[in-house]
Amino acid sequence: MICKKAFSFIRRDLVLATSYKFEFFLRLFFIFFSILTFYFVAKLVGGVGMAHLEPYGGDYFSFVLIGIAFSGYLMTALRSFSESIRGEQMMGTLEAMLVTPTSASAIITLSSLWNFIFTSFRVLMYLLIGILLGVDMSNANIIGAMAILILTIICFGSIGIISASFIMTLKKGDPINMFFMGTSELFGGVLFPITVLPEWLQTISHILPITYSLSGMRHALLQGYSLHALAPEIIALLVFSVVLVPSSLLAFRYAVNKAKVDGSLVQY
Amino acid sequence: MRCTIETHELTKKFALQKGFTDFFLHPLAKDEITAVEEVNIKIEKGELFGILGPNGAGKTTLIKMLCTLISPTEGTAYVNGYDIAKDSGKVRESIGFITADERSFYWRLTGRQNLKFFASLHNFYSYDAEKRVDELLSLIGLENRADDRFLSYSAGMKQRMAIARGLLNDPAVVFMDEPTKALDPGAAQNLREFIRERIVKEQRKTVFLSTHHLGEAEQLCDRIVIIDQGKIKVIGTIGELKSDLHKPNPTLGDVFVHHTGKEFKEEMAEHPQSGRRRMVHGMHGGRMRGMRF
Ligand SMILES: Nc1ncnc2c1ncn2[C@@H]1O[C@H](COP(=O)(O)OP(=O)(O)O)[C@@H](O)[C@H]1O
Ligand SMILES: [Mg+2]
Repeated sequence: MICKKAFSFIRRDLVLATSYKFEFFLRLFFIFFSILTFYFVAKLVGGVGMAHLEPYGGDYFSFVLIGIAFSGYLMTALRSFSESIRGEQMMGTLEAMLVTPTSASAIITLSSLWNFIFTSFRVLMYLLIGILLGVDMSNANIIGAMAILILTIICFGSIGIISASFIMTLKKGDPINMFFMGTSELFGGVLFPITVLPEWLQTISHILPITYSLSGMRHALLQGYSLHALAPEIIALLVFSVVLVPSSLLAFRYAVNKAKVDGSLVQY
Repeated sequence: MRCTIETHELTKKFALQKGFTDFFLHPLAKDEITAVEEVNIKIEKGELFGILGPNGAGKTTLIKMLCTLISPTEGTAYVNGYDIAKDSGKVRESIGFITADERSFYWRLTGRQNLKFFASLHNFYSYDAEKRVDELLSLIGLENRADDRFLSYSAGMKQRMAIARGLLNDPAVVFMDEPTKALDPGAAQNLREFIRERIVKEQRKTVFLSTHHLGEAEQLCDRIVIIDQGKIKVIGTIGELKSDLHKPNPTLGDVFVHHTGKEFKEEMAEHPQSGRRRMVHGMHGGRMRGMRF
């Protein structure tokens, strides 16, 4: 039943997304541009950072490709939940949904499914183009990568839901979004390995789920680490999930209840 | 056996945003507005119950509390026997909520896509959902336009879509918040006939409807409550309320003045008299099918 409901949300959002046809295709097109940019940056950088890149196979383009591709999930999570909830609040459709027996948690969770599917499609494009440009993933541990992917989506999604709860309650200025947007590129190992950072700054990296997602993903896809070798990352992401999933659902429930007290489920 | 809708001292106070100067001048003053104050009503199954009051009287707040979209500050209420606070999920399963707010759809989806989406939130899927949506589209006479985008619909069609959505789960109780608000007089009249004939008489639903039209209340409702500034002034059938005035040829306007001490200001002047004739005609003429409003 939840699958059918999920499908119904996906169909809604797919139709809405493709109703802006031009934007839909434009977004796909620009993926090529961003990948090419990093391809040439990698050419310039060459083997300069070899020592730091060694744990990930030693090639900067492969390293940054995975970083850019999978950090897309965090950006999607941070934007999509809060944008969709805010949009539905303004349109009045949030109220129309909340007057049905479907729970608020299901509504928020399903409301971003399509965006995650679209992001996955984009990630796949990144990887395919990367392979065409010479990235070697012939040893990839697909099962390990899938495990890390699922945990990544769960962690990032929860962060997105917490952020949406803040937006719903405070209307603007959401600290969660600012924190993760502000720190992830610098500390999360998106564009360069965290070992480049001074040691004391690396402690910040270790409290960010994205650090484990990206490093696990690189190990799984580029170097084909076994599940056993991926255990540190998988366990870290599991711990984040166990904390973040219930927190996010509680935060959202709180936000909805507060909106019911304030009468602000619908806003003009 | 409980009534279909029952409220006990139902009250809603909204906190108001304090202005910066107020905050310093009266730091302890509580800035709140009482939108609904100690409301007690009982509504029986199958009634078409109206809540009449000017803008800002508290009609929307009361309806939304009963629909579990706003939580009460004090008091309790039961809808279909379920406590709106403790059993809100059960309440939502058994009600339909229809607003005049035409924004509350996805404008870039078609009418049918909209209804199917909301059907899935009521746990109707695939064949069941299609069947239900088709039934409702024919009920509101929109089969031909069902596959056009919502944004291409007229105000009347959007309102009919809102009604179809409110009936998706075949609810026992239907709440309608000023359903004719956005409609021109002719369309409003057709909608009233539709509510009376199709929803109450044919489908035997309990309808709780708010309006700020004297004529609408008079023409449509079995019983009404007059509400002003969040407080109930009087409850009864239109006949009772009028005869209580002990005055020749009383109007509902007189009733309103008598109980609130104010003139009732109608936003859009309408002609309830002509409306009434048309309704009688409609009831005998059987032109309910393919209705346009
Ligand atoms: N979310 C809210 N926050 C503060 N005040 C509100 C809110 N909603 C309604 N009110 C106030 O409560 C009163 C009743 O409003 P409402 O129920 O919308 O009246 P009606 O539907 O009869 O026009 C009005 O004075 C309105 O300004
Ligand atoms: Mg209102």
